[in-house]
Amino acid sequence: MMIEICDLHKSFGGKRVLSGVNLKIETGETMVIIGRSGCGKSVLMKHVMGIMKPDSGKILIDGVNVFDVDDDEINHFRMQIGMLFQGAALFDSLTVRENVGFSLYEHTHLPSEEIGRRVKEKLRLVGLSGIEDLMPAELSGGMKKRVGLARAICTEPKIILYDEPTTGLDPIMADAINDLILRMQKRLQITSIVVTHDMTSAYKVGTRIALLYDGKIVGAGTPDEIRKTENPVIRQFITGSAQGPITSEEASHRYLVGNHDNHHES
Amino acid sequence: MAKVSLTYLRKIADIQKWFGKLGRYTVELFEGSGGISILFWRTLATAMSTRLRWRATLEQAYKIGVASLPLVMLTSLFTGIVLALQSSYQLRLFSAEQFTSDLVALSITRELGPVLTAMMVAGRVGASMAAELGTMKVTEQIDALKSLATDPIHYLVVPRFLASCVMLVFLTLYADVIGIAGGYCVGVFKLGISHYQYFNRTVTALILKDVYTGLIKAFVFGIVIAIVSCYFGFKTKGGAEGVGQSTTMAVVVSFISIIVFDTFFTGFFYLIF
Repeated sequence: MMIEICDLHKSFGGKRVLSGVNLKIETGETMVIIGRSGCGKSVLMKHVMGIMKPDSGKILIDGVNVFDVDDDEINHFRMQIGMLFQGAALFDSLTVRENVGFSLYEHTHLPSEEIGRRVKEKLRLVGLSGIEDLMPAELSGGMKKRVGLARAICTEPKIILYDEPTTGLDPIMADAINDLILRMQKRLQITSIVVTHDMTSAYKVGTRIALLYDGKIVGAGTPDEIRKTENPVIRQFITGSAQGPITSEEASHRYLVGNHDNHHES
Repeated sequence: MAKVSLTYLRKIADIQKWFGKLGRYTVELFEGSGGISILFWRTLATAMSTRLRWRATLEQAYKIGVASLPLVMLTSLFTGIVLALQSSYQLRLFSAEQFTSDLVALSITRELGPVLTAMMVAGRVGASMAAELGTMKVTEQIDALKSLATDPIHYLVVPRFLASCVMLVFLTLYADVIGIAGGYCVGVFKLGISHYQYFNRTVTALILKDVYTGLIKAFVFGIVIAIVSCYFGFKTKGGAEGVGQSTTMAVVVSFISIIVFDTFFTGFFYLIF
């Protein structure tokens, strides 16, 4: 499925988070969106999911505007999109089986043995087994993320959104998650958006990389193009330098406005 | 000269700030009551139009109703006892101690039963609802629900809403009985009113209206507790601190709303009956 983000604007309490985001993601492509913490990457993802409404602009998925979908059809629409949340967002009152099979229990009339079988299969796909009856509190961070991924792919969606899939994991587990994302894309031909600030992960999983900065996409290209870019903003971000246009602009902005205004956004 | 004008300017700025604050609180008040009303209507509409989640509703009914029984029993028993003791102290001045039974029965069923039960439940269950939903909100579980094509109102609010209003009615009925029993203990064992007389006076004093107006109030308080707590749960921002804040707000706003609605309904029943 193709995703097209057109001129998306969103502000929270007077603070502009997205100011005219334009991005096109082709079918089967993995688009990595990089950007600083709190620059609105997760907000952008929630718009794609249709959980947040923009101030203006639209997101077309296969030509249909996400924000025009009726309440009756929104659930059917969301079944086609899976999302892996930053902290996995597993329901802590439910077991792993109930978490992974949530959509199946809720929206289908499949017998519970069949759901159990599918849950097992998805868990095997993310490299876990025998943990169906555990509660999320008994799992480690990496396991939670993988269970979250199993839940996101349980309905066999055509689009998967990954919100910081490798943040807070050890390098080995992070790489395992990267491999999983690649496998999902190759095996199931899924269109994916990955939001991250982990450059290793971005280079590895991305077919294209885009930088979200100051509420806009300032550049997009294949990992090689991004590596060789001349754009000073992108250069500073990918090299992880403390000196450069991003930091100097922020410093001057703080100087001009004063830092009494400290809104935070999720 | 320059110094004077600077202090003057500061004063103006202070006044402006004060008005700004007043404005912000007013907006927050209307935003809150508007948000709570919208949540109420959406919950009602969802409850009517979708299939009921029996299991979740029964689970909530257990948490709200059955688990609150000991607490409600203690409060209403002691309220009944204290009420009987205090009123007999006053009634003795008119040698009218035998009216203690009437007074206890009427005050408990009409007023104290529903209000105290609602307060206990708001403190015990409302706080836990707000904390639970608030934690779900800050850990993105609410968003996850939406992303899994499930309406959080249908999944989370409706079972709490139904369980709360039904269980509050039963809890109040229970509190009425226990409260009157507390008064009975004082009347019979301390004031020396005979068992038969106390019982008989209580039954004649009470008419059906006293009981059911109390139960109508309880039903409304049940709605208030569930909706207010869920509203503040959903509004939670930030982390642990945010959860703490919304829990406090849920309890405080529930308490205030209970008192306000109680006054309103008492006045209303007073006028129409």
